[in-house]
Amino acid sequence: MPNQVQHANAAIALAGISKSFTGLKVLSDVSFDLRAGEVHALLGENGAGKSTLIKIMSGLHQPDEGMIKVAGHAVTFTTPRAAHHHGIATVHQELLLFPELTVAENVFLGQAPRTSIGSIDWATMRRRARELLDSLDSFDLDIDIRVAALSVANRQRVEIARALAQDAKVVIMDEPTAALAEADVQKLMGIVRSLKARGVGIIYVSHKLPEIFALADRVTVLRDGQHVGTKDIAEVTEASLVSMMVGRPLDRLYPKKIGESGEVALELRNISYRNVVRDVSFALRRGEILGIAGLVGSGRTETALTIFGITPKTSGEIFLDGKPVEIGSPEAARDLGIAYVPEDRGQQGLVKSQSIAENIALANLKRVSSGWFVDAAKVLAEAKAAITRFGVKARGPEQVVRELSGGNQQKVVLGKWLAATPKILIVDEPTRGIDVGAKAEIHLLLRKLAGEGMAILMISSELPEVLGMSDRVLVMNGGRIISTFAEGEVTAEAVGHAMTHTAQVAA
Amino acid sequence: MTDVVMSSRGLQRSSLRRFVGNYGQELVVLLTIVLLFVVVGSYNPRFLSETNMNSIFSGNAYIAVAAIGMSLVIISGHIDVSVGSMIGVIATMAGTLAVSGYPVWVAWLVPVVFSVVVNASVGALVAYMRIPSIVVTLGMLSVLKGGLISATGGAWITDMPPAFMISQWRIFGIGTPVYFMVVLTLLAALYMRFSGFGRSIYAVGGNMEAARAAGLNPERTVVGVFALHGLFAGLAGLLFATQLQVIQSTVPPNLELTVITASVIGGVSILGGTGTVIGSTFAAILFATIGSALIFLNVSAYWLRSVLGLMILATVLVDMIRRRRST
Amino acid sequence: MSRLLKHESILAILTVLALAILAMQSDKFFTTDNLLNQGRLMSEVGLVALAMTFVIVTGGIDLSVGSILGLTAILLGVFWKNVGLPLPVAIGLAVACGSLAGFVNGLIITRFRVPPLIATLATLALYRGLAEGISEARSVRGYPEWFFFLGQGDILGIPVQLCLLVIAAITAGVILARTPFGRATYAIGANETAAHFSGIRVNATKLWIYTAAGFLASIAAVIFVSRVTTTRSDMGTGLELDVITGVVLGGTSIFGGKGTIIGTALGLILIQALKNGLSLSGVKGDGTIVVIGVVLIVAILASAIFDRNKGG
Repeated sequence: MPNQVQHANAAIALAGISKSFTGLKVLSDVSFDLRAGEVHALLGENGAGKSTLIKIMSGLHQPDEGMIKVAGHAVTFTTPRAAHHHGIATVHQELLLFPELTVAENVFLGQAPRTSIGSIDWATMRRRARELLDSLDSFDLDIDIRVAALSVANRQRVEIARALAQDAKVVIMDEPTAALAEADVQKLMGIVRSLKARGVGIIYVSHKLPEIFALADRVTVLRDGQHVGTKDIAEVTEASLVSMMVGRPLDRLYPKKIGESGEVALELRNISYRNVVRDVSFALRRGEILGIAGLVGSGRTETALTIFGITPKTSGEIFLDGKPVEIGSPEAARDLGIAYVPEDRGQQGLVKSQSIAENIALANLKRVSSGWFVDAAKVLAEAKAAITRFGVKARGPEQVVRELSGGNQQKVVLGKWLAATPKILIVDEPTRGIDVGAKAEIHLLLRKLAGEGMAILMISSELPEVLGMSDRVLVMNGGRIISTFAEGEVTAEAVGHAMTHTAQVAA
Repeated sequence: MTDVVMSSRGLQRSSLRRFVGNYGQELVVLLTIVLLFVVVGSYNPRFLSETNMNSIFSGNAYIAVAAIGMSLVIISGHIDVSVGSMIGVIATMAGTLAVSGYPVWVAWLVPVVFSVVVNASVGALVAYMRIPSIVVTLGMLSVLKGGLISATGGAWITDMPPAFMISQWRIFGIGTPVYFMVVLTLLAALYMRFSGFGRSIYAVGGNMEAARAAGLNPERTVVGVFALHGLFAGLAGLLFATQLQVIQSTVPPNLELTVITASVIGGVSILGGTGTVIGSTFAAILFATIGSALIFLNVSAYWLRSVLGLMILATVLVDMIRRRRST
Repeated sequence: MSRLLKHESILAILTVLALAILAMQSDKFFTTDNLLNQGRLMSEVGLVALAMTFVIVTGGIDLSVGSILGLTAILLGVFWKNVGLPLPVAIGLAVACGSLAGFVNGLIITRFRVPPLIATLATLALYRGLAEGISEARSVRGYPEWFFFLGQGDILGIPVQLCLLVIAAITAGVILARTPFGRATYAIGANETAAHFSGIRVNATKLWIYTAAGFLASIAAVIFVSRVTTTRSDMGTGLELDVITGVVLGGTSIFGGKGTIIGTALGLILIQALKNGLSLSGVKGDGTIVVIGVVLIVAILASAIFDRNKGG
């Protein structure tokens, strides 16, 4: 890969970066550079390696190979503190703030101005916090209020102010507009422009192509941990970016549909949950894979959690096989034949300290019990069957799940839910963080299950996956379904366009 | 649009409203104290007599002092259930040294140093070995309590030299414990507000990982907090030791509970990251007032512990509900 | 399975060792009389420790068990002497109240999401306070003879409460190791979110466990009263220390997700042996508390070190 990225005035430059986690290579020979006063967009689907690259730049991980240079000097960041020292600040997707402390204090935590006797100079802190926030056009944000009381948009401004207080030369913004309303998105773009004017370099990680075209000077695309290309924004179009991101022939990875869709298994009518799921209606048939596409925060997972009973609906109706049902808890959902393979595998899907057998039995305890007792033989048999059926690479059913790779862990989660013989399977980001080989296996499995009559709802942020696997596609945004694509209408251009356009629906 | 409504919550508000918002709990406690004085005082005027006032404030100042240290521990995200036993040990140690002919300053200094060292060690265990503070301090409680009674056999210490008896002195007619309470509270409050270390206690207790990411050292902060706590417990022990003419070499009943409750009621959230020492001092005064009020209202003093338990529950429930609503 | 057995095996060896040392130190130790008597004495702590194992495995803690014991004891006296109910009814009602106290703990923890530490610290005060307030430090005496059978009698030469403890321990052990309820308990302690997402009734399970703790504490209260023939409001003070030490020593991780009844049983035996050995050597009760406290700290320290070495 030609190294066209070394510039003398690069605010930060990375070359030949590689990184692996437990045997899975996440980044391989990636190069990236950022000039002062530039907005450089970083694009790539989930699992492409963007977040790892950012964490390396902000000192949370060290690369296995490769070099980092800040303003021309080679550096190594062993801690986040070191990265701060070199003027690199991050505005995280999951904001790292102190809810009980005030805005001013959050902005300056760890770097508060001091008086001559060494005590904290609150007056100066408050004044400078006020100045910083005003420079971000946040005149109405009270610096003495507890951060816990702020909206997400305002909290983000506090994090940005914090980056400025660190006198950062490089500001990394990770999916900054994912949780923002349109008005706030515009304000954020204004902030980015003013930072740019001050000579700050910005790394803008986002899926939203319209924003990228509006703000970025250059764009870098990563795919499967590799650097696909870095181009000036004038040289690319939406289509060329999408094709750089997707890159591979779709049909090789995604098996085609077998047979016809059956009757309607699950139907939602005007389902709402508070204000995160709004008036959602759709039908899911046996034998089909219905893909739900959309960006982070669009309400897809929230809809799934409502169907699954974690956050039961506040209005609307759910029908299973034509009969209205109330789903008030996950156990109710399970008993009705609904399974949910969660987005957060580690936290929600698996008990990592337990064995494969114990995990697989977890959703199914009644089934593997005879009378009052758990039948250890049945548990073992089920686990062995699952291991064989899904091709889980492990020493045996007693191996602790923590030791398995991402792909194998996901197979265990699937195994757990399939052991409960569901009729409806909801998979949320089913192949996130999984290597290509295991991805293909899981896709094949899903298609086979659909072929056997299961109704599958697939939530995914990976455009190729949505395109390749879904028979029909729904696109969600702001908790609502904004586009529907029937069989045959599912094309890359159409879905990609719907996904990457904010198309804000009025509240 | 909800976001707009929520953004408006960040709008500048008047200083008064902001003050009340941030220090609401402390104000409530203060008002309750005033209310109690008014109500009980009108029912039985002897409640407001100088002897009783002295008894309330001077006699319970040591609880407030101990509560300062406890507040720091809870703000940092931990707890110490052994403080009552520690105070008993401090008091006995000090008294024994005093009657054994050591100079008075030795009798004051050695126990306090002991408390600082022991508590700092507990802090180190908690911070570096990642052992939950509840378990370590539960063990400490027994070690100290059992150790105290084994070593002394429950014997009383009497005839301590007058130079030793801090709590008995009066300045302008007010007992010295009150001055200790006020001065230490103010110093601690200023320290928590204006020193880097003080602010780091809030940060570590509020979000340990964010604190680390911001460049702080959570482990050192925790050890420091426990050491400070040891200091305040030590001073409280000295005040407690010299209150009466005799030291009973036992662990004062309910003490750790009262101290923890004072912090919690005074606005320190059990989840860490927030609260003030001024609040805990007010709360300690509140309990003393309630305790005295129960007597003057002819309510059996045996109900005091239930009242404490109910108060903790009520405060914590309110705290939980408040947190659920704001996040 | 094999990981669990390693800790228990070490513990078993330690226990045997301790018993051997004590047997050599004093010829009064290894007599049937003494051993059975020790069994009698440890039954109260033992019963509560069974429930506490479940509590700690779920990642929680219950500091109020001692207070529930005291409260139940007082209520027993009140129902019988002051209200005049027949003794069996008074016993039943008192146990019901103790169970209710445990249920309230569970409610505060599940419904209101109060951390178990502070919830049970508050109820420790509340329940003890109720006991003190109701009894006003007066004790109740004069129970009928037949009542003392529970605490002081023997069945086929074995103390009644020891028989009860053994039956309860076997039941608890089977429930924890072999039933869906037990599996749910482990899952909740290891990863409560994943358990919830797998359809396990987390809140219901916890409620049962805390209620059981209250129930067993109240049974222990009845046995205690029967043994010492009187009720006093300070009964059970410090019980939580012995119970938690026994459970932690037995290999239950304070962070939840790991632990067995066998381990707890061994831990309890070890502690009782320690107490017995100390008293036979002339150490008074208060010295014993010191040792127990040290044992707790050392046990938790060891468990923290071992967990870390395993890459926990």
